[in-house]
Amino acid sequence: MATDKELSDFLESVDRRAFKQAAYAVRNEESALDIVQDAMIKLSEKYGDKPAEELPMLFQRILQNTILDFFRREKVRTTWVSLFSNMSTRKDGNDDFDILENFESEEGTEASESSADKVEREQILAILDEEIQKLPARQREAFLMRYWEDMDVAETASTMGCSEGSVKTHCSRATHALAKSLKALGIRL
Amino acid sequence: MKTTMNNSSPSSELEFAYKVRRALDERITELPESTTQRLAQARKMAIARKKPESLAFAVAPARRLAGAMSGGSSNPFDHSLGWLGRMGIAIPLLVLVLGAFGIYNMEQERRINDLADLDTAVLTDELPISAYLDHGFDSYLNKHGE
Repeated sequence: MATDKELSDFLESVDRRAFKQAAYAVRNEESALDIVQDAMIKLSEKYGDKPAEELPMLFQRILQNTILDFFRREKVRTTWVSLFSNMSTRKDGNDDFDILENFESEEGTEASESSADKVEREQILAILDEEIQKLPARQREAFLMRYWEDMDVAETASTMGCSEGSVKTHCSRATHALAKSLKALGIRL
Repeated sequence: MKTTMNNSSPSSELEFAYKVRRALDERITELPESTTQRLAQARKMAIARKKPESLAFAVAPARRLAGAMSGGSSNPFDHSLGWLGRMGIAIPLLVLVLGAFGIYNMEQERRINDLADLDTAVLTDELPISAYLDHGFDSYLNKHGE
């Protein structure tokens, strides 16, 4: 069973990455912080008695589910808002919450403005951030879990609820898409 | 370091992925103070609501028993309870086997006694009157009498 210290150390080791993962997905820092907080509390309340070595995978699962819950709530909210305010229609016939659509509406605001005043390296990192955010959700999830969270293919597949082959495909596509987009921007890491 | 992957071999993919990973690690060290404070608060809240340990203690003996059964266990405390665990399983199993054997013997003896009673009744012609009132028995006797 994980002790308080083990749990605390684990949460400290993953909180920033979890925040970025959530922020990539929901594109809103406040919502991302709420999601990470919810995920941490769920892990602690429900699985605080599990061995420390089981925590990373459990936390990833909880985090991904909490992100999905956010999108479900967002979809319901969007449906109700569009129902009551359909007089001021900007887009017709598309009530579904679309991550990419949402991204495009915010593209070029916070990240690009802040990166414009910083050194080249920071600019590159900011652009990389954007390019990762642009990846399709499943590809990004697989890529981040495999290469940032150090999960193996089987663990990633189990957390994502798909086959190991799909994980490999998602990772490969994400890697190629990132490499291509960074090359197009003339960026070197 | 170039980001481009000249060929798409798994090793070049992996190399690129790890470059991205390093960049991401670098990026998260620059999170704003307000964000890191909020994350620290979230951690504290989570720790304060940790699942109590008492439930784990309740489950522990069962786990030890399971460990003793499987024979392999990495927990050093399992060795001290190994004998107890094994006896705790072996004795009920022995009782169960002996009980089943006893019931089987009793049942067998009862069957033999029933058959013996029937044989004795036939030999001493002490058939119950109901046997003669049974049409099936009559037809059986007639058939065999012919």
